[in-house]
Amino acid sequence: MSAAKSRWADNDPETEAIIAQRKREKEEKRRTKAEKQRQLEEASKAPAPIEPADADQGVNGEQGPPKKRRRLSNDPDASSAAGEVSTSAELKKQSSLLRFPVGEWGPCRHVDNFERLNHIEEGSYGWVSRARDITTGEIVALKKLKIENSPDGFPVTGLREIQTLLEARHQNVVYLREVVMGNKMDDVFLVMDFLEHDLKTLLDDMREPFLPSEIKTLLLQVVGGLEFLHSQWIMHRDLKTSNLLMNNRGEIKIADFGMARYYGDPPPKLTQLVVTLWYRAPELLLGADKYGTEIDMWSIGCIFGELLTKEPLLQGKNEVDQVSKIFALTGPPNQQIWPGFRSLPNAKSLRLPQTSASPAGNPPLLPRSRFPYLTNAGLNLLSTLLALNPASRPTAQQCLAHPYFREDPRPKPKEMFPTFPSKAGMEKRRRHHTPEAPKRGQDAPELDFAGVFGGAAGGDTGEAGAGFSLRLG
Amino acid sequence: MAQTNTGLKHLSNALATPDQLSNSSSSIDGVPTDLETSIRCAGAQLTQAAGVLLHLSQDIIAQAIVIFTRFWLGVDGGSLRIYSAKDVSAASLYLTAKLSFQPTSPRSILNVYNLLLSQDVSPLSFVNPRGAPKQPPAADTYVLSEGGYQAGRLVLLRVESVILRTLGFDTHVALPHTIALTYLQTLGVSRPAVSRRVLEHLNAALLSPQLLYVTHQPNALAVAAIYLATREEGVKLVDGEWWEVFDVDREELGFLVVGMRSTEGFMRKETELWKNKAIPMVIDEVDAEVERRRMMDEGE
Repeated sequence: MSAAKSRWADNDPETEAIIAQRKREKEEKRRTKAEKQRQLEEASKAPAPIEPADADQGVNGEQGPPKKRRRLSNDPDASSAAGEVSTSAELKKQSSLLRFPVGEWGPCRHVDNFERLNHIEEGSYGWVSRARDITTGEIVALKKLKIENSPDGFPVTGLREIQTLLEARHQNVVYLREVVMGNKMDDVFLVMDFLEHDLKTLLDDMREPFLPSEIKTLLLQVVGGLEFLHSQWIMHRDLKTSNLLMNNRGEIKIADFGMARYYGDPPPKLTQLVVTLWYRAPELLLGADKYGTEIDMWSIGCIFGELLTKEPLLQGKNEVDQVSKIFALTGPPNQQIWPGFRSLPNAKSLRLPQTSASPAGNPPLLPRSRFPYLTNAGLNLLSTLLALNPASRPTAQQCLAHPYFREDPRPKPKEMFPTFPSKAGMEKRRRHHTPEAPKRGQDAPELDFAGVFGGAAGGDTGEAGAGFSLRLG
Repeated sequence: MAQTNTGLKHLSNALATPDQLSNSSSSIDGVPTDLETSIRCAGAQLTQAAGVLLHLSQDIIAQAIVIFTRFWLGVDGGSLRIYSAKDVSAASLYLTAKLSFQPTSPRSILNVYNLLLSQDVSPLSFVNPRGAPKQPPAADTYVLSEGGYQAGRLVLLRVESVILRTLGFDTHVALPHTIALTYLQTLGVSRPAVSRRVLEHLNAALLSPQLLYVTHQPNALAVAAIYLATREEGVKLVDGEWWEVFDVDREELGFLVVGMRSTEGFMRKETELWKNKAIPMVIDEVDAEVERRRMMDEGE
């Protein structure tokens, strides 16, 4: 024991005791100071008069209004009154109490703290560029919010985007670092972590689609992020491959919360003008104003299909064409698989073929010929995600537990992912051919679905649903 | 670690730093601390009254008051000599409602604030010391003209931007109300009188001069309100230090209990202090009040 001691240490126990005593006194002094007892600093042993040692005393005793302050140390009374036992007990207990993460707020910094490097893309809600933080040298993505003389002040979509992103701290959601301002009142930029790729550009440039094991890894991450969002009462409402960002470490993050919002129970009235057309759920197309997280699950189904074939699954030219493309894939709805769909606003004009033999299963399996390389479990998952009836679709949580992710080939470890040259990092991205998310504030179009199955009313319907007997009226 | 904390975001708040609590933009601009406290408290009451008239739910109103309170704190906060308390109150309410399930229009906001700030017909004693008139007032005493609306709308939207910039766009406010009701159920207290009293304490604490909502997490506020309410209603809770189950230590509870209990006395004192005077809610009135106090000091 003495061998471990430094030879400079004073062995005299008395001196040691004095040093310890001084130390204790110093500690006590520091605490008292923190208690804002500046005038009592000399008499360091004096108890703080304002703080009641006992909560009961606080209730019964008449106290003056205490000064505002933050709790900085233990109650000095406790040690003197109850002795050391209670102090140590208190310390032990204190460590078991949950402490919330304490955030702070402060004014926005100026955008001049960043040096813009290159333009990345223009989304429906703003311009994104790659930039460097001048002080730290870190590379970030800078997204300028579009604020065009909005009549209601700061656009609610921008506010929701910031609010939901600040709340959605998850490894599969893009990290919003801060919000910065430009010179004008309505120059607002979001500073986010920069990621090298988006899934859309990546798929466009790949010669072969991802391997099944890679698809599972990607899908697990996206659904994992989405499960977190839904657990926080956030709907994304614009999931698509170009909004899924990826870095060179195989990590994927959900981005672009321009359409995201909180929902509630019971659900508030919502606009059906959400989600980019190709990824839009049938209940939205049929005009439902009450909908829920199932619309995000539909988009996940579309993304799943796109990962499998490298091409967007349902490329409708307009709403009517989109509906006919959906029904061509899934088969038309009927009262068995989607009870109540008839009462949706736009379903009134829908003329459905009378089919005698509807595909088996509820929801019915998608045609195997469209996805020749998918396993049965995979086809089952995809068919439930793309179920016409929102109630038949799995939740994000159920999706994560699906057997598809547990069968061979297993999800590929993220570290084993191939890397790709980054377009965003080097050069201007080319514009996608994906249509944009609907603009807010437009009137929801009154859609005439009379032409979904080949009638003339819908105008350009593209390819008609295959194999249906048409009933023209 | 960060992972375990993420889910707690909607139960917790950003808190004021000691620096933000001890310095304010207004005091740098020469507004006495007690005047600042009076105006802040009156602004909170104004927000509450406007929210009630707009039929907004109490969670929106409470969030607006917290945003309003945060705005004035710290040297980077707003100054009462640059921004009118009434405008910040209106913009806080407008902003919070916009993000909620019950958005409201600038016109509704401005109409309500015009009525509440009318020195002839306002029911608020700190605006109209004579109190609300007995007879329904003539419409022209409180109706907002079209020109007034256009001008007011520009100010409202500008101040909304200022609030967002000042708070770094962090509009998140977690409230203790629902947490308190959950805790009451956990404690097996089902008497409605207790729940009502808990909510009363929590709403009164919004006006607290100790700024309890920006210095303590909602779970602690909830526990303190339950502690007080059960005592006042004579309901016996479990033995032992039950507050620790809800992650509140005794010291914090003691402080909050004293703080909540002192709010009533503070409000009485405020009413007495401003008995026949209006509390300045616009920049010019604040300037005049600061000047008046300076003259009084020099006269003595």
